[in-house]
Amino acid sequence: MSRDRDWRTRRCVVVIPAFNEQRDIATVVREVRRVSGFPVLVVDDCSTDDTVRLARTAGAEVIPLSQQLGAWGAIQTGLRHACRRGYRFALTMDADGQHEAAWIERLFEPVIKGEADVSIGCCVRRGSRLRKVAWILLKAASGLKMEDITSGFRVYNRRAMELLSNREATLLEYQDVGVLVLLRNAGLHLVDVDVTMLPRTSGTSRVYHSWLVVAYYMAHTLLLGFSKRRVRR
Amino acid sequence: MFSLVSGIIGIVAALTIIVLIRRDHLHVRYGLWWIAVAAAFVVLGFFPQTIDWLAPKLGVSYGPVLALTLGLTIFVIKVLTSDIARSRNEARIVRLVQRVAMLEAELQALRDRDAGREPSGPPTGQASRFGDADGN
Repeated sequence: MSRDRDWRTRRCVVVIPAFNEQRDIATVVREVRRVSGFPVLVVDDCSTDDTVRLARTAGAEVIPLSQQLGAWGAIQTGLRHACRRGYRFALTMDADGQHEAAWIERLFEPVIKGEADVSIGCCVRRGSRLRKVAWILLKAASGLKMEDITSGFRVYNRRAMELLSNREATLLEYQDVGVLVLLRNAGLHLVDVDVTMLPRTSGTSRVYHSWLVVAYYMAHTLLLGFSKRRVRR
Repeated sequence: MFSLVSGIIGIVAALTIIVLIRRDHLHVRYGLWWIAVAAAFVVLGFFPQTIDWLAPKLGVSYGPVLALTLGLTIFVIKVLTSDIARSRNEARIVRLVQRVAMLEAELQALRDRDAGREPSGPPTGQASRFGDADGN
């Protein structure tokens, strides 16, 4: 099974956006490094707590943003950095411990084998009823077919990384629908990989914490998804 | 009465714009636009018959409606173009912030290497066409 062990030696990097994640960041970084052995890039989105120091101590390289750019801005920074460093594959995951390092290998598999350009760790069970309604609406507006469009647990190959490093992707605010539509419209192949996710232990979801934010998010994402729909000729 | 008031508004607006440019609060490029707006106010204020002359030629029976419609349309176009410019500027700022952060990380990695510490990522980078080539 030497081919299977290959995935560890590929030029892979793990990108973790973090904003005030001192509670979990060290554990997440250590766990990823222990399980995969990959270098970890933590993109610090102007945390005011001890996130940077803890991430560094745990063995991550920290990219410190001087202005808060939000989750997607932070991830894009990580992907741009990974491109410049010459990495061929990048995995993105949350800093709050929701995504389990144990699934990393499984998530890398289709991309490293060349079966897909992007794999998305999907956990459909995690959604509340309201969130599922939101997903259905967003999928209808954008024409996306992914199971879990909001999952940030993904693996990108070099082509996807370069595409997402582009200026075109810079104006996106969230990493979900806009990013997926961009990838799909460029003709990249996306696959769902079933994973389990842990309940969030600290912090709150950046999106689902107030009704006003949810309303803005839905309006924003519906308009974005609809405007970027592929036009059939 | 109408003519005097809007004429004076135009003159005050023009003066304000010149003061703003003088004090570097307004870029000359945008000042030009606002001076043109002020000029339109002055012309329409002191010579309201201009609009009454123009309206019937454009099929509008009541002059002031034409003035308002034109004004509103131009205003909407201006706001839209300024939002387009703002979006572009936002993207520029984001890319600059990202670039600075990447350079800082690079600097830290070099410092770590000099200090004999093992940097966490292999700095065997080959510059890609993204990052350097795209300007910021």
